[in-house]
Amino acid sequence: MRLGLFPGCLMPTEQYGYEISLRKVLPMLGVEIVDVMDLSCCGEPLKSINQMLTLTLSTRSLAVFKKEGLDALVPCPMCHLALSEANRIVKEEEDMARRLNEKLSAEGLDYDGSVALYHTIDLVHDHIGLEKVKDMVKVDLGSPDMATHYGCHIIRPTELGRPVDAENPQKMERILEAIGARSNDYAEKLDCCGGPVLPVHPDTAVTKTGQKLQAVQEQGFDGMVLACPWCHKMYDSKQKKAGETVGAKLEVPVVYLTQLMGLAFGIPPGELGLDLNQSPVERLLQKDKEGA
Amino acid sequence: MGITDLTSMAEVETEARRELNERLLRLREEASYYCYQCAKCTAGCEAHKLLELEPHRIVALLKRGLVQEMVNSDIIWTCLSCFKCKERCPQKVAPVNILFALKNLAVASGKEVPGDYTAMLTSAMGMGLIQDVQTVTTRGGETRTREGLCLPPISVPTDPAKFQMTVMTVAMEKV
Repeated sequence: MRLGLFPGCLMPTEQYGYEISLRKVLPMLGVEIVDVMDLSCCGEPLKSINQMLTLTLSTRSLAVFKKEGLDALVPCPMCHLALSEANRIVKEEEDMARRLNEKLSAEGLDYDGSVALYHTIDLVHDHIGLEKVKDMVKVDLGSPDMATHYGCHIIRPTELGRPVDAENPQKMERILEAIGARSNDYAEKLDCCGGPVLPVHPDTAVTKTGQKLQAVQEQGFDGMVLACPWCHKMYDSKQKKAGETVGAKLEVPVVYLTQLMGLAFGIPPGELGLDLNQSPVERLLQKDKEGA
Repeated sequence: MGITDLTSMAEVETEARRELNERLLRLREEASYYCYQCAKCTAGCEAHKLLELEPHRIVALLKRGLVQEMVNSDIIWTCLSCFKCKERCPQKVAPVNILFALKNLAVASGKEVPGDYTAMLTSAMGMGLIQDVQTVTTRGGETRTREGLCLPPISVPTDPAKFQMTVMTVAMEKV
């Protein structure tokens, strides 16, 4: 499977652990990642400012993919939502599609809604398949109990066709089982990380982060696993600050799904960008030693 | 901005105003026909407990046509855009979309853009992404750069001037 990478903004500018682990793990499962130049922000973070701008930015990037003849790997749920919406509008709203294409023609681009989108979770679960994942496992992770966090935009809104169920997402759980980890459902599983209000209400955003992390910690999970650069920024990079807002000492190892898969595949932690995680991920590594 | 942009500004303004008003009118009709104020949206709202957003009230206010009042209120900027309200509405109303339209109208009306949005917008228009490449630190306190981590160069618009032409007219629209 050959896919062009749509990196978005956050992953290529600060969430390097996601990108490093993605580039390491997916090729082992038969995915060839192609770097596509000339892309931009998907526009979703600016939707509150101007929805038309969001749509123009998304459509422009999709047009670049069409020109390259590639389908897109979109590891960020927020980008995945923006691009899915652009796909729907270009396909269903003739008038808008015409207007967008008029704008794109200045750069010699055009778009028809034909680029297929893959997020990390559905790429691994639906397209690569769990059997292939199981075959790659070399290290016993020691069956850590991981709290899953999907990220709002990869599960909602269903109407737009999201790759994972909105109210009872289970695909990440199945992937965890395949790599020798486990996950129990918990009441706060669908709670938002708070990231989207970070530009306007930073304190509230981090409080939301702290509340969920505290719940995860109190329920005795070994860590949290996710596949969204925004959520990771909140739960991992801002964990210390989040603890201060809820008056708790938070020590929840937070890892990207691709990092945990990499560990199970026997890749050394250093090659998965795990030293970049700010949360105490070494606890998970110890767990894996105890189990091995 | 060139002379052409300045002279065509009047036309752009009219179009932006017409579009936003049309969008809100459509949302208002939809809300009036379908919303029966069950408040399921508010029950699950991620911004309710901490920021006191009540999506069902936003819908009720829109039904009454109190658009300007909401545009002038800070409450519209509390939405986390988690899409739970849209997902769970038994009548397929989407308070989240109403809030996006209201925020867009506030910005287009020339109200001050709150928080870090201006910086994000400026960066996105300038280099293509909402922020430039950052230096990060490891858990042990050592600094790392994208280059140092052997990651390939970032993907940004290859011809920034042309890219700006494409998106700038959209970004500059004001009512």
